[in-house]
Amino acid sequence: MSVILEARGVDKRFGGVAAVERLSFCVDAGELVGLIGPNGAGKTTVFNLVTGVHRPTAGEILHRGTRISGCDPTAIARRGIARTFQNIRLFPSLTVLEHILVAQACRATVRATQFWPFRTAGERERRRQALAVLDGVGLSARRDEAATHLPYGAQRRLEIARALATGPELLLLDEPAAGLNDTETADLRRLLDALRAQGYTILLVEHDMKLVMQVCSRILVLNFGRLIASGPPAQVRSDPGVIDAYLGVAH
Amino acid sequence: MNVYYEGVLASMGINILLALSAYAMLATDRLSLGNAGFMAIGAYVSSFLTVELGWNLYPALAAGACAAAVTGALVGLPVLRLQGIYFVMGTLAFGEVVRTFFQNFEPTGGAYGMRGMSGTSLEMIAAFVAVFVLLFLAFEVSRAGRAAYAVRDDDQAARSIGINVTGARLLALVSGALIAGIAGALFAHYALYIESGNFNFLVSANAVLFVILGGMQTFWGAVLGAVIFTLLPEALRFLADWRLSAYGALLVALMVLRPEGLLTRTFLIRLWRARSGRDAA
Amino acid sequence: MLGQQLVNGITLGSTYALIAIGYTLVLGVLKKLNIAHGELFMVGAFAGIALAALGAPLPVNLAAAFAVAGLVAVAVERVCFHPLRHASFLSPMLTTIAFGILLQNVATQMFGSEPSRFPHSAEPQQFAIGSLSISAVQIAILATAFTLMFGLDLLVRRTRWGIALRATSDDPETAAQHGVHPSRITITTFFVSGALAGVAGVLTTLVYSQVTPLIGIRQGLIGMVAIVIGGLGNLRGAMIGGLALGLIETMNDAYFYAGYRDFVIFSVFFAFLIFKPEGLFPAQAGR
Ligand SMILES: Nc1ncnc2c1ncn2[C@@H]1O[C@H](COP(=O)(O)OP(=O)(O)O)[C@@H](O)[C@H]1O
Ligand SMILES: [Mg+2]
Repeated sequence: MSVILEARGVDKRFGGVAAVERLSFCVDAGELVGLIGPNGAGKTTVFNLVTGVHRPTAGEILHRGTRISGCDPTAIARRGIARTFQNIRLFPSLTVLEHILVAQACRATVRATQFWPFRTAGERERRRQALAVLDGVGLSARRDEAATHLPYGAQRRLEIARALATGPELLLLDEPAAGLNDTETADLRRLLDALRAQGYTILLVEHDMKLVMQVCSRILVLNFGRLIASGPPAQVRSDPGVIDAYLGVAH
Repeated sequence: MNVYYEGVLASMGINILLALSAYAMLATDRLSLGNAGFMAIGAYVSSFLTVELGWNLYPALAAGACAAAVTGALVGLPVLRLQGIYFVMGTLAFGEVVRTFFQNFEPTGGAYGMRGMSGTSLEMIAAFVAVFVLLFLAFEVSRAGRAAYAVRDDDQAARSIGINVTGARLLALVSGALIAGIAGALFAHYALYIESGNFNFLVSANAVLFVILGGMQTFWGAVLGAVIFTLLPEALRFLADWRLSAYGALLVALMVLRPEGLLTRTFLIRLWRARSGRDAA
Repeated sequence: MLGQQLVNGITLGSTYALIAIGYTLVLGVLKKLNIAHGELFMVGAFAGIALAALGAPLPVNLAAAFAVAGLVAVAVERVCFHPLRHASFLSPMLTTIAFGILLQNVATQMFGSEPSRFPHSAEPQQFAIGSLSISAVQIAILATAFTLMFGLDLLVRRTRWGIALRATSDDPETAAQHGVHPSRITITTFFVSGALAGVAGVLTTLVYSQVTPLIGIRQGLIGMVAIVIGGLGNLRGAMIGGLALGLIETMNDAYFYAGYRDFVIFSVFFAFLIFKPEGLFPAQAGR
């Protein structure tokens, strides 16, 4: 299998705090990998490093064998790595559909036409595709609503849809089930399965252990910025180091 | 037309252009207090060309606007690296550097200023306002306009979906500089006399206040703000000598009582829906 | 000659430092910019002149400037900052610009747009120290400015108010949870910031002997340049930045060309922001 994402000895320090230390891992094409660990373990920092928000203090990150650490977030998104945020970050000025339309531009090859104000054939086609993306997350009926007026669960799904609209091969999802009720979590699970079936490679940060154990093919466990375990769900679950890490922190 | 009304309308048109120039940058969440610097460049370059070199007004105006835009492109990249308060101060510093430069630059009159310009008519100002209103109208419904909203709302999220945030901001800054340069050239050839004091920091600040008070969710807010706050001091003439104090007090009151501005996008959308009879909710 | 310029530069710079300190105090506590700060300088100058016209001596003029400018600063806080305390830094900043316009126009109404001056300004008395000559006015300025600067430095370092101020500046929420009254700290900070600018207004007017309602625009910008040179949020940096700026200005006038003064100052401002935005003394490295 081909490696999509690789981290080699990545360190990230914020002043005196080592948020990530000597982290190495690989994600293969088509995998759904869980990234778990107690609060403050450095999971979001890993996402910020992969997407170019932060630059590693040491080590490097490769996408399909090309070094991406040091690239800016825009360039990384255009390579096909899309993400969602732990604290939802939608655009208050845009409607639901506009979130998809604005993200589609990521794939645009001709950028001069973006100033054209009229509905061209291309624009109509993009709208059709955008609606299809919204359909996939069950939001096409609310396409004209202001995104920030949606219920919480719908906002999380819209963030995923926005990431999908950039046409990525690798999706980084930061706690997509946080704040969801049971029905919404079940919806999310079906969505994750569907995405996996469509061939997306996914790195999933999540605190909902039941969900993680169900959907992930492999799990990476971080504690204090270090990788303390990795392997299939069953193996990770019974790892004494992992149990200690979770019990050692009031959760 | 009455000379008085013509003067008010002309300064309204120039104020609209200045407000649009400030809006261009605000639309990507960058507040500039230095647009008077670009205005000065447009004014002095075009005036030098018409007065000293005998150029026609139109090519001189184009040259002035280009000079402002090129300056914008040159200072844009380093200044755009600054965040928050630093960006505001960086633009402020730029505007003051330009102003004090022209204060001492003898070829354009130095501290004595420049005279001998003429040729701007009210119709010309109106035409430029119309052109830029149309351009903004088109921009706001284009994909680039949507991307600008995304950048303004949350630049980190915008980057995460592949929007070139720095590029968008640089483009906004250069467009803002260009518009301010045109406003400066029109102003110089209307006022007939310019001095560096015409381009001080309060001019930049006023342009931003027009936008904020008019409402910065859509460019119509900038236009509205410029119209209202050009007319307001005139409407306050009954207060005689205290009118500018009253104007200042009104600005303060509006800033505090309606920080989102007079015109909001929700209001425009509601208006639009009501007109096309879709306002069921 | 150079020694004489140093004396003059430090005298001028000490008034700039007083303006800069006020910016830094407000910036430290609120992380927001008060662009009407220069107008407090102007208000102080006019308050001093108004009392001098009634025959009051210099210390009384200074006290009046201290009180009036301090109170106007509190008004700025109550009107521009308090109602907008949850908004981004931009809204109060723009409101202070509008407030500045208001103050300029009110001053124009009260004192006219022509320069006003102290009735008996610039006593000619000069003292000679070696080859240096220093006027009584300069001594008064240096004494007042440095007393205020050292006094404030002590206040911030040693008193409960100073501790509360520094705590609020580091982390307003935690400070509030530990019994610091944020509103009280903000108000006192604004008072002190305005009072110092007001005193600077009187002191500067003693040297240049005149003041106009628009003088605050330049003086406010100068204070801003000083804090950028010194490093934003650093009190001692602001003082040193002010002194440095006074020296730059005096040296420019003496050895270069007085007409380029502001061009030089604002070029330094721009250059610092582009190449060294953290200033000479970044805030983290020891306050
Ligand atoms: N931008 C930042 N600046 C300083 N410290 C940070 C920053 N981002 C994260 N950290 C620190 O890094 C550590 C890991 O944080 P994070 O990656 O958010 O953890 P997680 O997502 O696993 O809960 C924490 O100690 C956090 O305080
Ligand atoms: Mg996290």
